[in-house]
Amino acid sequence: MRKILRLALREYKAAVKTKGFIIGLVLAPLVMGGGLIAFLLLKDRVDTTDKRVAVVDRSWVVTEALVKAAELRNANEIIDKESGKKVRPAYFFEEVKPNTNDPKGQRLELSDRVRNGDLHGFIEIGPQVVHPGKDRETFQISYYAKNAAIDDLRNWAAGAINNRLRELRLADAGVKESDVKDLFFWVTVDGLGLVSLDESTGAIAEGKRASPLDAILIPIVIMMLMLLMIMMSVPGMLHSVMEEKTQRIAEVLLGSIKPFEFMAAKLVGGIAVSLTSSAVYIIGGIIALQVMGYEDYVPLHVLPWFFGYMLLAIIMFGAWSAALGSTCSEAKDAQSLSFPTILPAIFPMFIYFPVVREPLGSFATWMSLIPPFTPLLMVLRLCTPGGVPAWQPFVGLLGVLLCTLFFVWAAGRIFRVAILMQGTPPKLSNIVRWAIRG
Amino acid sequence: MSTIELKNVTKTFGKHVAVDGLSLTVPQGSVYGFIGPNGSGKTTTLRMIMNILYPDSGEITIFGEPLTPASCDRIGYMPEERGLYKRMKVREVLEFFGGLKNGDGIRAKVDRWLERLDLADWANKKVETLSKGMSQKVQFIATVVSQPELVLLDEPFTGLDPVNTDVIKDAILELQAQGTTVIFSTHDMSMAEKMCDYIFMIFKGVKVLDGTLAEIQDRYGTDTIRVRTGDGMTALQNLEGIERVNDFGQLQELRLAPGGNSQVILQEILKRTYVRSFEIVKPSLHDIFIRIAGPQAKEVERA
Repeated sequence: MRKILRLALREYKAAVKTKGFIIGLVLAPLVMGGGLIAFLLLKDRVDTTDKRVAVVDRSWVVTEALVKAAELRNANEIIDKESGKKVRPAYFFEEVKPNTNDPKGQRLELSDRVRNGDLHGFIEIGPQVVHPGKDRETFQISYYAKNAAIDDLRNWAAGAINNRLRELRLADAGVKESDVKDLFFWVTVDGLGLVSLDESTGAIAEGKRASPLDAILIPIVIMMLMLLMIMMSVPGMLHSVMEEKTQRIAEVLLGSIKPFEFMAAKLVGGIAVSLTSSAVYIIGGIIALQVMGYEDYVPLHVLPWFFGYMLLAIIMFGAWSAALGSTCSEAKDAQSLSFPTILPAIFPMFIYFPVVREPLGSFATWMSLIPPFTPLLMVLRLCTPGGVPAWQPFVGLLGVLLCTLFFVWAAGRIFRVAILMQGTPPKLSNIVRWAIRG
Repeated sequence: MSTIELKNVTKTFGKHVAVDGLSLTVPQGSVYGFIGPNGSGKTTTLRMIMNILYPDSGEITIFGEPLTPASCDRIGYMPEERGLYKRMKVREVLEFFGGLKNGDGIRAKVDRWLERLDLADWANKKVETLSKGMSQKVQFIATVVSQPELVLLDEPFTGLDPVNTDVIKDAILELQAQGTTVIFSTHDMSMAEKMCDYIFMIFKGVKVLDGTLAEIQDRYGTDTIRVRTGDGMTALQNLEGIERVNDFGQLQELRLAPGGNSQVILQEILKRTYVRSFEIVKPSLHDIFIRIAGPQAKEVERA
């Protein structure tokens, strides 16, 4: 054990006493969370250039209302009242008489105006839009623009046009809007967590208002943090073992310690590195959230599971990584094995979205009980507001524990044979043979 | 008392027999030289003694006990391919390797060895800044700094200049004087002749020589003539009764054919040229090596 700790300590120092580690400690979360932070910072930054849109209204009844709605919007919504700054673009609609003889030619002509920058886009409204029939083309509303799929103007125009259509339909039915109070008052449905009983006080606690922050963001951040911890140590083991093998340090070490102790020391060192990083991130994260007043969002109840699963994941994937590293005789071998090494660890990232959307669904449940995916997916599910049935984290942990023991056993056998073998390429058949025969 | 005892040890890799039924006894406090051509089984034997490779059959006893991982702590091992952490400082790497075996007072031991091998000024330099010779000396210190009772050195003199060769040679002899058993493999026959109490030669996995230099030379008799003549090699062409002539430029080494007579040969040479020196000697280790493993070698004969 003394030798394992001594070698692990060297591994730990070699990893954390580098500028790369310090820089990585700062940069890694920025890179991984950078997109989210950028989105939050930039979501209110919009292009305030005014937008002119042509309207080809074949129904002849919508354009006027659209122009008025735009005027109302331009008067009330584009200037921030406190700062007096323009925060949104003004919309201007220009009526263009429909060309019934050559509609395609008219669309081309308007498209050219958009290309020239004269227009932002144009809308074409079908003749039967007020009372749609069976022929879709007669009531279709089409919006043509350079980037029509993601365009705030399209969403705004859809609302304004449909308000006008509802007014016209009510009028045709003989109903005045003023006769039906709150006809267009839209009521939202608030999402709330379940009501619970506080056993200490006997009081009924109201359900917590559900927000995307704790339903999606917190689980994903916690999962990403665990992935980050795994990625900070596991791929490094592949390269460090490969280096020790190719630089012939491994044989010197094997004169002092057994191959299994050698691998175990690598794992202990890797765990220590990840624990150091995670302690920095978690303590820093909790303090930051407290300062910002978001301390209620910290899922403290998940932290024991987080660390338990993280340790096993690092041992499991680290053993796999060290075993593969021992099969490499040169740097290009390690390069080709880098992806297979981290694949089991990163696979949950490909399926996290359906899991976080329906954390109690059968897909989420079964995927989170497949041992290599359990650490990330179970922690993700545990962080969701509804949590998971109490038995599942325990069953998942047992599965991961058994899987880890198997990985370490197989990796130890591969490591023992491969670490002294030079010039033998890391073929799958060899790796399997070494794992089976030892 | 023997430090190492190998009994009928065999190791195979696939179909290749690397070591075949090897038995060997290494007395305590001796310097034992392992010689043999490349790929003959020297390194495999050393690795089995170190418990890095396990024999397929046979028995290895170290310090009178069956080989265990714990006994490796009493052995220092320097592999043929040197391996040091390049980004660590010299002192750190030595304390690390020494500490893996026996960490007691390691810092003082490291200082003493750095001073002894003239590396004290490099103690706080990174290994990657050292020359090859200096790296080799650091590797040697890493092997012996924990004061092991048995030291295994695989090709310790390879790549060293004469000065550093002498430094390592003196250090090995100092270790022996302190009671340490030293085994080293080498391709330098003269070094083996001069330093080793016992010499063991392995060829194609089979032990072909084992004993003191005198014992080995006695096996081959006095069939060698060293001669210096006025005309060098040209005077020795087509001499009858000679099996082989080894030309060293300034002197030639002649091996007598079976039944050859040295006096008849001397007379024949005197007819051709004048003789500066004529010496009947035992064959050198180099010559014996060539006889066993050279192109004209006959079938492997177990020692």
